[in-house]
Amino acid sequence: MSTVSLEGLTKVYPNGVEALRGLDLHVDNGEFVVIVGPSGCGKTTALRMVAGLEEITSGTLRFGDRVVNDVSPRDRDVAMVFQNYALYPHLTVQQNIGFSLANRKIPKAERDAKVREAAAVLGLADMLDRKPRQLSGGQRQRVAMGRAIVREPAVFLMDEPLSNLDAKLRVQMRSEVLRVHRKIGVAALYVTHDQTEAMTMGDRVAVLRAGVLQQCSEPRELYEAPANMFVAGFIGSPSMNLYEARLEPGDEGGVSIALGSQKLSLPASVLQRNPDLGSYQGREVILGIRPEHLSDPAQSGAAPEPGTALAADVDYVEVLGSEQLVHFTIDARKVREETVPAGADQGEIVAASVAEGVARIDPRSAIRARGRAIFGVDTERLHFFDPATGAAIAPAGALAPAG
Amino acid sequence: MSTKTAAGQPAQADTTQAAPKSGRWRRRRRSRPDDPGSDVIPIEMYGLKRGTTTVLTLVCVLFAIFTLTPIAWIVINSTKTQANIFETFGFWFARPFSLFHNFALLGQNIDGYGTYAVWLGNTALYAVLGGGGATVLSAFAGYGFARFRFRGSRILFYLVIAALLVPITAITLPLYLTYAKVHLINSIWGMILPSMVTPVGVYLMRVYTEVSVPRELIDAARLDGAGELRIFFRLALPLMVPGLMTVLLLSIVGVWNNYFLPLIIFSQNRLYPLTVGLGLWAERAQNSGNTELFPLVVIGGLVTIIPLIALFLILQRYWRSGLLLGSIAN
Repeated sequence: MSTVSLEGLTKVYPNGVEALRGLDLHVDNGEFVVIVGPSGCGKTTALRMVAGLEEITSGTLRFGDRVVNDVSPRDRDVAMVFQNYALYPHLTVQQNIGFSLANRKIPKAERDAKVREAAAVLGLADMLDRKPRQLSGGQRQRVAMGRAIVREPAVFLMDEPLSNLDAKLRVQMRSEVLRVHRKIGVAALYVTHDQTEAMTMGDRVAVLRAGVLQQCSEPRELYEAPANMFVAGFIGSPSMNLYEARLEPGDEGGVSIALGSQKLSLPASVLQRNPDLGSYQGREVILGIRPEHLSDPAQSGAAPEPGTALAADVDYVEVLGSEQLVHFTIDARKVREETVPAGADQGEIVAASVAEGVARIDPRSAIRARGRAIFGVDTERLHFFDPATGAAIAPAGALAPAG
Repeated sequence: MSTKTAAGQPAQADTTQAAPKSGRWRRRRRSRPDDPGSDVIPIEMYGLKRGTTTVLTLVCVLFAIFTLTPIAWIVINSTKTQANIFETFGFWFARPFSLFHNFALLGQNIDGYGTYAVWLGNTALYAVLGGGGATVLSAFAGYGFARFRFRGSRILFYLVIAALLVPITAITLPLYLTYAKVHLINSIWGMILPSMVTPVGVYLMRVYTEVSVPRELIDAARLDGAGELRIFFRLALPLMVPGLMTVLLLSIVGVWNNYFLPLIIFSQNRLYPLTVGLGLWAERAQNSGNTELFPLVVIGGLVTIIPLIALFLILQRYWRSGLLLGSIAN
């Protein structure tokens, strides 16, 4: 039972590549924290540093009060589940799970009891005599977890354990993993590149990009109040539509958003909540619209409210049954968060001449491909980002990016 | 209408599913499950012209004849007496059939020129100890280079490989003087210890370990509290077996056939391996007229190669998979 504190963890490889820069993260006892980010963002490096499989270049790693920077992996009392399971191929399931206990010279009777207990938790009781090559992917993954939990570790680490499973099994195993975690109740760090997994599993989610922590919050907050453009575009599927826009003084003294050739009016309540927005009048901002905040007012027969209409050319419609995903283009300039380089200067905006977007609308809507549609925009829920730094233009008193 | 290639096999359009047909000339080549090239497609599909394949087959046949002729000769002539070796046609048998007589002579000390059986025993000893030792050392070294990061590991590895560049003839004299100083001359260890050092073995084991022992496996074992030696013996070694068998086979063959090293090391007849001993007999056979040494040289040569052939056949399974370095799934 232990908490895990990463304080300013940095990893620089001998050839100068900086894999992780100043990561601050705290995991409470029993908390399930997910580290998520695109490939190469340093999440696996961070996990391996916690496990002791990578040297820490600078920063402090603490388990509880104990500084463990220089403690060897076997003495850290961490258990890890690897992406490729890393099961011992010539040992049976029983021997695989009991390996760590055998290394600690625990007597056979006690060892067998613990193995049986762990196997029962994971539903492996009748497979103890099989070898890994006789097991399916899901079963192997459970053996890997059994191997980890039988040690009753202080910290439980998982490196993309579900990414080698097929989609259906993955969904099933997500709840398995959480169930097991609840049962053993220790601090857990889970690494994945799949934002859906992160959002559904984590008590808190830390978003990493190019070695730098972007934001660490609960899933809901990550979704509703992303700290910067990268988090906004990374979390949520389909991802948020991000466009270059301009804040201009509108009619009747309000503020209007110029998006391409169209104008949306900014509700006064938003301006009240976000006083910083006022300082962006007359300047460029990045506007973010989540797909579900676009609707089809024509469906109910009403006209869209003034200042909330967005006309677009429909490219195609994906009918999912529970909803429809409308792929459209408007004459604004789009921002693609992947092409924004990391680091302080996020001002390079690579734009297409016409911007695509996705809207998530009611399944009964009559919007069809290759037509023209007028969307209703939920202007209360727009997101704004600074075009130079990419940071969210957040309301006063909002959380800082890292937490 | 089936046409025949130079090798006498019918070329038919449908090769994969046909059941074995009766008759010698229409027998299909069965795909064996462990055959790496088991997806057999008709030669026409390679895009080669008929003439090309005929020429290539001819060339291969010539090479085969070139390689097999000495062996055929030795098998045939080991059954002849000295007189017959010189007087009858080299590639066919002649009466009297003296195979067993010649074979029996191998057990005796011929005119003080040494006993074959002793030499055979020596060769076996050197090969097993030297080859076995080479395998053990290569396993440790290969694993160390493949799975540990340490300062200077690259330079050290290149040094090991660079040792291959030095021809043994260039260092004969310093070798002799050094060994004399440490009393390794005329000692079996003078033969065995140098044989245990094989850069090719280290290279092979390093490459094979990189391919067959995943890093994550070792990481997982370290986290599970296993010590490095336990990881090596219990987890890594079982995965390295095909590579080990390859190195074992190559080292044993290398020591068995080694002529130069024992020539330098040994001056006592009773310590000679077969290579040096047979060489001595051959030289004596040329230069002294009296003894019937020629048939003994011939049959001695034959008996020398039989254990190696047997070893190849027995370890065949490992030998072939070891060569495939990495196409084996865990």
